[in-house]
Amino acid sequence: MKRILVLLVIFTVTGVASGGFKEKFIEEFVKKPWGAPPSQESVCISCHTSDLMKEEFKEIVRQWRQSWHAKNNISCHDCHGGDPKDEKMAMSEERGFVGVPSYTEVPEFCGKCHAGVLENYYKSGHGMALKNDGTGPNCVICHGSHQIQRATIDIINEKRCSQCHTYERAKIMKQALFSTEKKITDLYDAIERLKKKGIYTEELYKEVFRTEADFRLLFHEVNVSLIKESTDDFLKRLSKIEEKTARLFSELRFRQNFSAFIMLLLAGLGIVIFLISKRGP
Amino acid sequence: MWKGIVEWLEVRIGLKDFLREQFTEYRVPPDINIFYTLGIVAFFAYIIQAVTGFFLLLYYIPHSEHAFQSVQHIMTEVPYGWLIRLMHVVGSNLMVAVVFLHLISVFIMNSYKKPRELTWVVGGLLLLTTLTFCLSGYLLPWSQLSFWATTIVTNLPTAFPYLGDWLAYLLKGSEQVSGTTLNRFFALHVAFLPPILVTLFGLHLFLVRRIGISRPPFSKNYPPPSSWTQYRHEEYPEGIPFYPSFFIKEMYMVVLYMVIMFFVITFMPTLFLPEEASIPADPYTTPLHIKPEWYFLAPYQMLKLIPNKFLGISIQLVLLFIFLFWPFFDTSDERDIRKRPLLLTVFFLTIGVWIILTIWGKYS
Repeated sequence: MKRILVLLVIFTVTGVASGGFKEKFIEEFVKKPWGAPPSQESVCISCHTSDLMKEEFKEIVRQWRQSWHAKNNISCHDCHGGDPKDEKMAMSEERGFVGVPSYTEVPEFCGKCHAGVLENYYKSGHGMALKNDGTGPNCVICHGSHQIQRATIDIINEKRCSQCHTYERAKIMKQALFSTEKKITDLYDAIERLKKKGIYTEELYKEVFRTEADFRLLFHEVNVSLIKESTDDFLKRLSKIEEKTARLFSELRFRQNFSAFIMLLLAGLGIVIFLISKRGP
Repeated sequence: MWKGIVEWLEVRIGLKDFLREQFTEYRVPPDINIFYTLGIVAFFAYIIQAVTGFFLLLYYIPHSEHAFQSVQHIMTEVPYGWLIRLMHVVGSNLMVAVVFLHLISVFIMNSYKKPRELTWVVGGLLLLTTLTFCLSGYLLPWSQLSFWATTIVTNLPTAFPYLGDWLAYLLKGSEQVSGTTLNRFFALHVAFLPPILVTLFGLHLFLVRRIGISRPPFSKNYPPPSSWTQYRHEEYPEGIPFYPSFFIKEMYMVVLYMVIMFFVITFMPTLFLPEEASIPADPYTTPLHIKPEWYFLAPYQMLKLIPNKFLGISIQLVLLFIFLFWPFFDTSDERDIRKRPLLLTVFFLTIGVWIILTIWGKYS
């Protein structure tokens, strides 16, 4: 025991001593996260969360953090431009900074990424009204801005639509969208369950995502007859993906049954060996 | 035909004599207990890893652009590839658990004492080799889990002044974990470590047979400790024959090991494969809550708790040194741990701290 104590003391003293000499090195190491080099936080966020900022501006970051954009790593500069790494140039027009777009500029602002939706939106009554006299609803009227959530058909509701017109036509459209929307939601759930069971689902997810994106394009045109015509095609596409997920679930069931069978065989063998060992020589 | 082969061998190598000497006439202590079978269970676990590893090698592609896909190919396209991979994954964790249990039982029975110091040291080296096997194998699926867990572990050497960065670079082959790291770990896993493991295992087995199995110190007939001044093989004329009496117990434990393995595969197939294991490695996205494997959690948490990382690593190296050469520190003749309260306290304290650190590391 004495030897252990002596060794511990020697190493502890040496450790502390070297630690002192290497303070700078250790500081650097301690600051290093255990995972990887830190991803540099956007200066927009660090400034907007500082105490120097007014509460209403701080709220923007709080809302964004809850958003679908934040979950998908879409940060401030992706929409507003500017340089997120350089404090001085963060809001520079030279680096493409756009603060708050005007009401009629909003579709173009969002359409930088959602180009397909933008095209269909302009074909719709909503888009045409906005283009012609600036009265139609822009994207944030239905989707919100910083707090934006994953779009679902629940966005179409009486409270929202009847702010501008009667709900009747929107209701028919929502009904037409319902079966496709439900299938998409069910597929995402199924993919999530498969993922939790250790199945690689990225390809399947992409397939559903692509179908969903096309589906979203469709109804931004707000054309009920077009939706009714296209629903069958979408349902067919989704059914094919559904078949794939069903196959994977059935494969998982087979795996469980097969390994359970081997386990039982081995357990039987174990019992036989145990009985033989109890019989003695 | 079988008889012919046996006769052929008998004439040339005296097979029957050899088997009689090594199995039926070879006697183990009469009061031998079930914990003595853990060595053979560990050996069997290594064999399973080697066999399943060989089959995985047929389809695995050690390249950062193909590794993940090749593993998914094994899991979904190769007939029963999922079973082989799950046996390898679950087996690697159970193997470490069995080795730990073997180590604990040897410690409790003080079987490392003179003349078996070398057997303990070689066993300790076998444990380190096993853990290196696990570490190198963990990166190979090239998933988010493997990528980031390896990043954590390969950052550890940077705690050393001067040599640290060089050591980490040597391990990774680049500044960050990359395709080069994958190649290095693959080479380590399939070419460098296996011969080391086989050599150490051969040496361990040689020492066990050459010195003889130690007797459990808990029985009433256990002889009082005597000094060991010259070599002798520890014989047990009153003991039980290795074959069939003890051999059948060993086989029972091996089957039990397999049952546990298939229980995990059946009912908890994702126990060692969380969600991040099904996502390809992405060096630009650090997942939340990534942790090293369960057997590295205690040292990992200890390092996190000590703010001076160099001191943390130094203390761990001292502890490793003490563990590896423990028989040379514990020189008392008494083998019954119940008569050694200090050692018993140290043992329970170590196990308790290890468990607490592991749980803390898991949920911190």
